[in-house]
Amino acid sequence: MPAPRTRSSCAAAVALALCATLAGCGGGASASDDGKVTLRFTWWGNTDRATRTNKAVEAFEQANPDIDIQTSYSTYDSYKQKLATQAAGSDVPDLIQLDYRQISQYAGSNVMLDLAEQRKTLRTGEMDPRLLRTGQVGGAQYALPMGVGTQAVAYDKTAWRKAGVKPPQPGWSWQDWVKALRKVKQDRGSYAMTDPGAAEDQFEIWLRGQGKQLYGKDGQVAFSAADLARWWTFTSKLRKEGLVSPATDTTQMSGSVEDTPMGRKKSIAEFNWDAPSAGYEAMYGDRLAIAPTPSGEDGTPGQYYKPSMLLGISANSEHPREAAQFIDFFLNSDKAADILGVDRGTPVNGKQRSRVLSEVTGFQKQVAELQESMRGKLKDPPAAPPRGDNGLQSTFQRDYDQVSFEKLSPREAAEDFLTEARAELRP
Amino acid sequence: MTNASTASTASATATTLPERSRTAADRAGTGTPGTGERRTGRPPQRERQGAAWVFLSPWVLGASVLTLLPMAVSLYLSFTDYNLFDPPSWIGLRNYVQMFTEDPRMLRSVGNTLLYVVIAVPLQLALALGTAVALKSMKRGRNFYRSAFYAPSLLGASMSVALVWRAIFNDGGTVDNLLSGVGVHIGGWVNHPGWALLAVALLTVWQFGAPMVIFLAGLQQIPRDMYEAASVDGAGRWRKFISITLPMLSPVLFFNLVLQTIQSFQVFTPAFAVSSGRGGPADSTLFYTLYLYERGFTASHMGYASAMAWVLLVAIALVTAVLFRTSRSWVFYANEGDR
Repeated sequence: MPAPRTRSSCAAAVALALCATLAGCGGGASASDDGKVTLRFTWWGNTDRATRTNKAVEAFEQANPDIDIQTSYSTYDSYKQKLATQAAGSDVPDLIQLDYRQISQYAGSNVMLDLAEQRKTLRTGEMDPRLLRTGQVGGAQYALPMGVGTQAVAYDKTAWRKAGVKPPQPGWSWQDWVKALRKVKQDRGSYAMTDPGAAEDQFEIWLRGQGKQLYGKDGQVAFSAADLARWWTFTSKLRKEGLVSPATDTTQMSGSVEDTPMGRKKSIAEFNWDAPSAGYEAMYGDRLAIAPTPSGEDGTPGQYYKPSMLLGISANSEHPREAAQFIDFFLNSDKAADILGVDRGTPVNGKQRSRVLSEVTGFQKQVAELQESMRGKLKDPPAAPPRGDNGLQSTFQRDYDQVSFEKLSPREAAEDFLTEARAELRP
Repeated sequence: MTNASTASTASATATTLPERSRTAADRAGTGTPGTGERRTGRPPQRERQGAAWVFLSPWVLGASVLTLLPMAVSLYLSFTDYNLFDPPSWIGLRNYVQMFTEDPRMLRSVGNTLLYVVIAVPLQLALALGTAVALKSMKRGRNFYRSAFYAPSLLGASMSVALVWRAIFNDGGTVDNLLSGVGVHIGGWVNHPGWALLAVALLTVWQFGAPMVIFLAGLQQIPRDMYEAASVDGAGRWRKFISITLPMLSPVLFFNLVLQTIQSFQVFTPAFAVSSGRGGPADSTLFYTLYLYERGFTASHMGYASAMAWVLLVAIALVTAVLFRTSRSWVFYANEGDR
């Protein structure tokens, strides 16, 4: 290799190389040359939600030509991880969708903007104050609920009817549920429902049906190992009887409808949230129906209205006013409500809610009807889960894996779960 | 995955790099001692060293900003409690103590990783060696087969291949159907705690092409007259393999063994894809790196995850040291006889 002729030439080469590197690191500036404001908006969900959301975003951009919104989405599990990493690097997108389980963490760590600063742009007058409270932490409003959802049983109504079982009614008990499963199993010859033991959400419904809670006011676990052991013993009995899915099928669930036994057409019923159950439509079409979840034996309902998702603004956003403008459009305008329907649950804005509920069709109509049928019958939602609860859903699923593969007894696994939960929730 | 993984990836380079970086430094800094002084009109040595640093600067910058700095931060974080949201708080050695005294899953993940290394590495090396020997004696088409067997090594580490692997070993996948066809009903391997680890190990074994190519090169270095002499003495194929091929190949075998062992300790992608990121079913594919990732990114215990990364680094260094030690008794270098 010939030696470089002059020092300046090699210095220039290095400078060039450095420039290239630095250029790669640049970017991220949010106001582009033409004076347009660029906002980043990120959420989790499936492609159907993405289609609707992007359509609403386009409508907003048309109405506000000086604002450009870059969107991105992923599945819930990877969304959580990515957002947490972005929060650590102070690179949170301007507009973020949060779960009820995340709000304490994000608001408590100054990642979110106090929306009171944007009160003029962002109207909340039409929203139910009880629901608004779900986006508050320490008295300040950090996010707004985007919709109201509730738990449900999604099922194939043709298969259900063929077995000669009545459709599930509001107020049916867990014992009614087991009886129905037996009949469907007899008719089908294989298991009827996905094993609910792995999902903390279902355990919560069962627990609330007995008048208990997941978390107490102090932010600590409010149930005992005996409670959890009883739930897992109950589901294990069903599993051994062949009424619900075996361990090898249950273990494949990973947060998307396509991976669940019902999504893979192995079972014909599954617990899920109401709006996300739309994902089964691709496999079941018109046969898909949803029903309320079972109640406690004395009729105490376990399910509740939950803010299905919250929408907030990053504390680091350079354009909080434009971001607030977008939220206002997304939650309050006729146009957005028409496009979004009940994809993220029924609208929180009272005016839009009554408009949308009377207009929706197809599966969305079932969601609307389910929620209307339970109006005034459900108990108040629990307070937002405490910080540290974030990873416990996966712990729950993992510990139940140990039960369903019969590596641990329900009691042992329940003790394991509580030990980890207490460590995570340590103040 | 920045902090957590750099420590472990760095360990792999740590064992292979010193040779290369030393020669690079020789060449750049004091590299041309004779020639420089004889010629006149060349800048003095100090100035040439400056030029060397200028040329090295992209690498030095990259290594320090992208590797050394994150490693240092990760070392610091390993002594803290850090959840990504709040500033890290110093807790001394608690992460390290907790790891060995009150975390049964961490010990399970160590067990899984060791089991995996013990299954995957010998199988892979045996397959690589066997194929290399077979290829060497091939007269036609050797180049084609060499490329064909090497291809998986280029593809194998990717997420997409791992996902395909998952589909092949799932319920109703190819393997399930083939086995059912001959009356073996296991179902999907990836959903059985007893079989999932084997499915992941097979994905690694399938990538035997890289060590195979190295074996093939090693085989061609063995002098042919040795085999001829052995033939004259009436040695059979097997005898020649044991008495000539293996000893002559032992340095290459050792190289492959060290490299594959280090890589296997750090296996992540296949287990992540096959178990949907949870190390399931029932923790049977919960490898060390997967657990590290879960602690860091799902449970938000970055301090703990960093501590785990450093323990992995030390563990791999120790295992490598032990391998080097044992190598004295079984690795034969051809020039030893001259000494």
